[in-house]
Amino acid sequence: MTNSVHDMGGMHGFGALTHYDNEPVFESDWQRKTFGLMMASLGPFQVNLDNVRSRMESISPTTYLSVGYYDKWFLTLEDLAIEKGLVSREDLAALAAGKDISLTRDVDPIPADGMLAFLATGATAARPIDTPARFAVGDQVRAKTLNPSGHTRLPRYARGKVGTVIADLGGQIYPDSNATFSGEGPERAFTVKFKATELWGSEANAKDTVCIDLWDPYLEPAT
Amino acid sequence: MPHDSHDHTDPPSDLTLRVKALETALTRKGYVDPAAVDAVVDTFETKVGPRNGAAVVAKAWTDPDFKQRLLDDASAACAELGFSGQQGEQLKAVENTDDVHNIVVCTLCSCYPWPVLGLPPSWYKSHAYRSRAVIEPRAVLEEFGVSIPEDKEVRVWDSTAELRYLVLPERPDGTDDLSEDALAELVTRDSMIGTGVAKK
Amino acid sequence: MTNSVHDMGGMHGFGPIPREDNEPIFHEEWEGRVLGLMMTTGAHLKSNIDNTRSQSEMLPPATYLSLAYYERWFLRLERVCKQKGLVSERDLAALWAGHDIPETLEAEPIGPDDMRRIFAKGRSYTRQLDASPLFAVGDTVRAKNINPKGHTRLPRYARGKVGVVTAEHGGQIFPDTNATFSGEGPERLYTVRFRATDLWGSDANTKDTVCIDLWEPYLETIRADR
Repeated sequence: MTNSVHDMGGMHGFGALTHYDNEPVFESDWQRKTFGLMMASLGPFQVNLDNVRSRMESISPTTYLSVGYYDKWFLTLEDLAIEKGLVSREDLAALAAGKDISLTRDVDPIPADGMLAFLATGATAARPIDTPARFAVGDQVRAKTLNPSGHTRLPRYARGKVGTVIADLGGQIYPDSNATFSGEGPERAFTVKFKATELWGSEANAKDTVCIDLWDPYLEPAT
Repeated sequence: MPHDSHDHTDPPSDLTLRVKALETALTRKGYVDPAAVDAVVDTFETKVGPRNGAAVVAKAWTDPDFKQRLLDDASAACAELGFSGQQGEQLKAVENTDDVHNIVVCTLCSCYPWPVLGLPPSWYKSHAYRSRAVIEPRAVLEEFGVSIPEDKEVRVWDSTAELRYLVLPERPDGTDDLSEDALAELVTRDSMIGTGVAKK
Repeated sequence: MTNSVHDMGGMHGFGPIPREDNEPIFHEEWEGRVLGLMMTTGAHLKSNIDNTRSQSEMLPPATYLSLAYYERWFLRLERVCKQKGLVSERDLAALWAGHDIPETLEAEPIGPDDMRRIFAKGRSYTRQLDASPLFAVGDTVRAKNINPKGHTRLPRYARGKVGVVTAEHGGQIFPDTNATFSGEGPERLYTVRFRATDLWGSDANTKDTVCIDLWEPYLETIRADR
């Protein structure tokens, strides 16, 4: 969802920051497990990060704002497992009620050492791209006014605004198509620097800037 | 806990139970090895964290060639110290100078350079930080006790793509005699996100 | 709050419009009481519509979205009644516990006849203005890119966008100052028509338009450099 509440840049009303010293990595065991399960399930669920992000954005706005961070991870993970037919809601309800139910082993999981290798290696989103760059460092570009109902990584606050290209990031998996499994469709990405006054108006500090990584299809020449 | 309406029995409100049920189901069916789940958790609870980033920063402070390599290709430079992997495939280091103070946010979700900083703290993921960092970075910085002069640029990096940003904080004055290890002790997590500065 | 979740124009994720056949005026009896209380206490609360709206916008975003319409009204009414000293927390706690509280009659309530008269008469928000209009019907204007922390009626989705003035409505109470009791500060109001393609991009229907009532301080002459 493009314009859902997850696109928070510039919104008011969320209050002051809460800053804890010595905060634990996880606050509870279920958060710990949710994180580990998410990482361990990406492969078996055959999903990609863009798709997972897109799903989290589709959580109803009220829920999105009301629940905690790992709650959203868990809700997404559980829905995925059910939607992909890996587990049924009934089985989950039975297990949560403490019943022991028989489940057949469908596949072999990724073992711990495989998981550690996956974490250590990573998986880059950079892709080779043949088409020449439409913009060069120093060019003035405008972020398009786009409001697709699907996933995008062009924040609302930057749309229609003019900035300067400060880096060519080469080809990168394009989230807007990758999120729906319509292919990685790599597009060239650029880092674009916007003046705070351009984004927020004349009240902003004239020195301040915001740099945003934006794909070629999000941009047009500023004329 | 609020949740979307479904036309069936509502799941238990206790997430401990609900997570356990999902883990058990996925384990029994062979999709997940609980030892692999533990390995993930252990990685971020005990192995990977901001101490990695601090070692990178301290080395950059003491070794000009390394600093140049870090600014040119942060992923390769961090890998020299053994820090690489998920959410660090395309790292970029941005240097604080007399003219620019950098601060990193992900307004759309919670992107963060895991191999060098570990998992993000709650405040980084909070709605308050995500909404405010881009529109009033100076007010946010003030809440963290960081005052930036009006005539110095605050440069916010919104992590919309798969690049992950690490701030290279300024080396504190009067630290010429300190060893790399001692310098690393001065590098706080917040100083590498840009909401703090290195300890003096 | 300018950019809080109440400013919903163009947002996604809220699902289909929840239509209801034969919808009652009030779904619960208490909703009607809330509306009635709101109207009859207005004079004692010494508030105005802009301040009331502004109070609603200051609810934490998650609360704002979780509460039903009249729940938001009620919580605001209860809070303002306490703030202005009309009722105390203790009074309410006693009443919640099923106890009565003594009659003190600290004020003169509005009676039913007066209430009907107030309703029938309505209230005008137009004000005399001496300054001549900056814009005329047919002018192309840009809605300013402003992000004030306080109350405003310039929706986010229109900011920075160019439209055409289609009507001029004379002086009207200015919400941005009225909301904080800084004076009615009347400003000239215009209706501005925006093309859907300007607001939402080239995927929008080129025939479609959105008309927004905007006060003069929200508008600027279109600059030649854009």
